[in-house]
Amino acid sequence: MTLTPYTKTLSAEDAAHVLRRTAFGATDAQIRALVGRRAADVAREALAFDQSLAPASPFDPATGATPGAMIQLTRAAWLYELTYGPHPLREKLALMWSNHFVIGTDKVRNQSALAGYLKVLRQHAATPDFTRLALAVAQTPAMLRYLDNDQNRKGKPNENFSRELMELFTTGIGHYTEQDVREGARALSGWTFTGGRGNKNFLEPQVFTFTARQHDAGRKTYLGRSGNLSPEDIVRIAATHPQTAVFVARKLHRAFLADTPDERAVQGSAETWRRTDGDVNAVLTELLSSAEFYASRARIIRSPVEFVVGALRTMGQPKLEPKALLNLTQTAGRMGQLLLQPDNVKGWDGGREWINDSTLLLRLQVAAALTLGKAAPTLDTAPSDLALLGSDRAPAALKSLNARQRTYLALVSPEFQLA
Amino acid sequence: MTDRRDFLKLSALAVAATSGMPGFLARAAAQAGGTKTLVVIQLTGGNDGLNTLIPYSNGAYYAARPTIAIPKKDVLTLTGDLGMHPALKPLMPLWDGGTFAWMENVGYPNPNRSHFASMAIWHTADPAQAQADGWIGRIAQTIGDPFCASNIGASTPQALRAADFSLPSIDGVDSFQLRLPQGLNTPFSQLLESPRSGEAAYLVQATQQMMKNTARVQENVKKYRAGATYPDTKFAGQLRDTARLIAAGVGQRVLYVSLGSFDTHAGQRAEQDELLSDLAGGLAAFHSDLERQGLADDVIVMGFSEFGRRVAENDSAGTDHGQGSVMFALGRGVRGGIHGSSPDLEDLADGDIRYRQDFRGVYASALTRWLGLDARVILNGDFTGPAWVA
Repeated sequence: MTLTPYTKTLSAEDAAHVLRRTAFGATDAQIRALVGRRAADVAREALAFDQSLAPASPFDPATGATPGAMIQLTRAAWLYELTYGPHPLREKLALMWSNHFVIGTDKVRNQSALAGYLKVLRQHAATPDFTRLALAVAQTPAMLRYLDNDQNRKGKPNENFSRELMELFTTGIGHYTEQDVREGARALSGWTFTGGRGNKNFLEPQVFTFTARQHDAGRKTYLGRSGNLSPEDIVRIAATHPQTAVFVARKLHRAFLADTPDERAVQGSAETWRRTDGDVNAVLTELLSSAEFYASRARIIRSPVEFVVGALRTMGQPKLEPKALLNLTQTAGRMGQLLLQPDNVKGWDGGREWINDSTLLLRLQVAAALTLGKAAPTLDTAPSDLALLGSDRAPAALKSLNARQRTYLALVSPEFQLA
Repeated sequence: MTDRRDFLKLSALAVAATSGMPGFLARAAAQAGGTKTLVVIQLTGGNDGLNTLIPYSNGAYYAARPTIAIPKKDVLTLTGDLGMHPALKPLMPLWDGGTFAWMENVGYPNPNRSHFASMAIWHTADPAQAQADGWIGRIAQTIGDPFCASNIGASTPQALRAADFSLPSIDGVDSFQLRLPQGLNTPFSQLLESPRSGEAAYLVQATQQMMKNTARVQENVKKYRAGATYPDTKFAGQLRDTARLIAAGVGQRVLYVSLGSFDTHAGQRAEQDELLSDLAGGLAAFHSDLERQGLADDVIVMGFSEFGRRVAENDSAGTDHGQGSVMFALGRGVRGGIHGSSPDLEDLADGDIRYRQDFRGVYASALTRWLGLDARVILNGDFTGPAWVA
């Protein structure tokens, strides 16, 4: 069964819901502007983003004095884009893909590699062809380095990328054999990059290259296909495998519908995926204009980055000092989500995994810093209940507090922490 | 012990007053009064067991690893055939004192080379991965106390997942406290009171539990006076926090600490050497701290990794994912020595060692002999293993 279109025009609560999911949240005025619109139009417009970036970002990773400083600036520049950029849905998708095609700054410490990786995620954020996204990511020096395919040479296979390509990026576990892992590694040999090696060359450009003499050109059998398979063939076969539709559709549902997705709805999206040959844009358009989407309020626990960016966007994107934004990227890390550095190659599990005693304490501290602290942005008018809580029915506990206190408590309420 | 009883009374009351609390939290804590603590160490990423406990008399080991084998001259000799990685030197006094044990060749049926599937198997103690909750979560259910096991670190591993609730994660004892701005205590409590369902109810429950847990820790943690200097690493700092919680006597029976990342596909020697050095330095300090606190009789440490690595090195001077590996344990309650036989490096399964001991047998000893629990209930079956708990 495919998803059911949502045919009613948007109510205020519908509008708040769609902006919480596609824009990390919004101000009262931004929400009210969508009331009465059709869900399909809202979805199409949100997905029609271009590649323009927030003007005047104070962060330029190329000015980093050390690899560590460069990485911090890269993270802060991303947080800036997430918070102030013109296309929050593009950034939300880039964040989701960075949690699917995982790399980590523990190994990737080159500026051009990180910039190139982010650029690919943004360019293909709502790709009409998943295979193109998979190929583009697989050829980034960031991925080649992170999963060691730059070490994968003829007669000297390194299986790391070959395994994770299937287990984590395409089919999911249970749909391939150890033999597929080995044969895939043989076929992927020769894909590497030039430049930027060594700690001192963290600003030197890294460029993808295919070294034919390091490629195993022999016959391989991979996921049931045989021949002199090239690296491109391997990515294409894995990306177009029927199970990939289900595996990646489930990720989309976890990002946009619910931490615990409804499997029938996932199958619906997978059906659309197969019918359109992996057109992620079509799958997302259908998903964001579906009755299932509008019926799924408060079923996603905001991640640390979504919590921080959501608070700032709900507060009307107040200007923060660059230092404050740098600190917020580190704090999001202590809450469990350091940008470009998930705990491991599987990425952040999300959902209830974001919540434990220590991370809850930090959420309270961050909310206090943004509303009550000395350096807190000015709050002339507090965000409305609709903006903060997704509905106009605020709990009685919030009445009789001043604007700052009210905003603070709303930010730490279960209602704000859910999207 | 008064504190402990008061706490249990308190939490029983709180449970009674809160609707929707998971059943196991309400079953109160008649069995929680044990005094022994188990510290579980997870080496994340698949630690290479063969370069940790080294079969230095075995030519096949050196033949399989021309670049990354530990040269015989560097091995810390334990027996005629086995020795430790040189980075583990800080643990030699424990070995010599008979309080350090190695469990050889541990694994499980139908090994899975995925980090995540394999980790889930160790965490759920279920090779079929049918169980979503963790073996330590089930300990908490059996004991009936939501505070009897904690993770030290930022994110809670699956091992500590209980049927309805995640057990606490304490990312730093000092920061584990709630200070609400003035005048907001009452509105905050009121905010949490209104009835909710679904994920909102979960968040309320987690927040209320956090408030209780933090209060409890802060009341007691001042009792600790450091008995050792810890190395300046995150892992050692977490072990120091572990010692502080044990000294505080807040009643935790299991504490969980992780050290990563052992996924050494390339350039293994440099990476693993540093990690093992971090491991040994932290554990040695932890043990002397407990000795000086007079707590060494009550605490044992058990360590594992989700799998070992391929016997043969790969061509990036690293190793790919393998099967069984070693486990270790230390403490005065541990019977030191080598438990089990070394893998046969000339009879391999797909390039990996064939495991001989099921890890659930190793868990079973900790559960029955150390924590005094019924291992069959927690592991869903009867498992026997080496007698590593004295």
